[in-house]
Amino acid sequence: KQNHDVSSAMEDEALSNISGKAISLDCQTHSSFCREFTVSSPKMSIGKVMVYTCSVWLLAYGVFFFTENTTVLSSAILITLTGMMLHIHFVKVDHESLLVIGSLGIQLSSSYASGREVTTFIEMSRIKDIVINEAVYLNQIIYYLCVLLKEPSEPNVVSSVVPLFQSSKPRLNCLAKVYKSCQEILSKCQ
Amino acid sequence: MVENSPSPLPERAIYGFVLFLGSQFGFFLYCLWAYVPEEWLHSVGLTYWPQKYWALAMPIYLLVALMVSLVVLFGINMNNTAPLDSVDNITDVFAQGQRSDCYRKGGIPRLEDVSISEVNKMFYLSSET
Repeated sequence: KQNHDVSSAMEDEALSNISGKAISLDCQTHSSFCREFTVSSPKMSIGKVMVYTCSVWLLAYGVFFFTENTTVLSSAILITLTGMMLHIHFVKVDHESLLVIGSLGIQLSSSYASGREVTTFIEMSRIKDIVINEAVYLNQIIYYLCVLLKEPSEPNVVSSVVPLFQSSKPRLNCLAKVYKSCQEILSKCQ
Repeated sequence: MVENSPSPLPERAIYGFVLFLGSQFGFFLYCLWAYVPEEWLHSVGLTYWPQKYWALAMPIYLLVALMVSLVVLFGINMNNTAPLDSVDNITDVFAQGQRSDCYRKGGIPRLEDVSISEVNKMFYLSSET
């Protein structure tokens, strides 16, 4: 019934994001017109977290050693804790997924490391196409997958663009897989 | 009809040399003004010159302006780059307004922008070789 395909196990190539960190892509085919793609970013390593908190607290202890002011210590602890909580709730994305349901629409969802999920649904009448585009991003040119939206009144004009997988930013080999799979559904149902 | 070319010409050599002499003379006058004490200049009769403060301030202002303009240029460039969710990365007014008039049988089609959907199909959906 369900066809589950983890691409990092099927092929030999390792997928990575634009900075070179390894990511993983998971394609699930729920039916002939419904597919879901999930790109998972690398998890936070415990070593990095420990190094960061230890260095901040050592620095705060050094400042306390010179100034003899205990508020430095307590404020450093408070800032570190709230900073980490805000980071995992608002910044650190665990995985992003794209669910394509033919003739109904697509659903984009990002889940953060704290469990929060942000979901957007776009109905099929507003979707013109899903394409891979190249654009300038800071100091480099990257490939990114995006949804072209149209107004139902003007079907030939691209009204807006929604980029996909913005936090994980996969490279072209991963995007090409997702693109081919999406086009199989979109070409049947548009 | 005079041809514009960047090759060296006698007139250009003369202009260059005149500019060189002029700039060296201007620098000599600037150093003269900066070093000669004010009383000597007043005694000769030249009284209406800028304060000596500017002998130092002007070069420093120019150098700092140069450094800042380098950073500002980089910043303006980054500000003007279209973000990833902008329609300017996909198409623009000229591409949308192009006419796709029917070409004559057997003739060469008119040069025009290919839409991104077609480009993608050509790149990623055609036969994998």
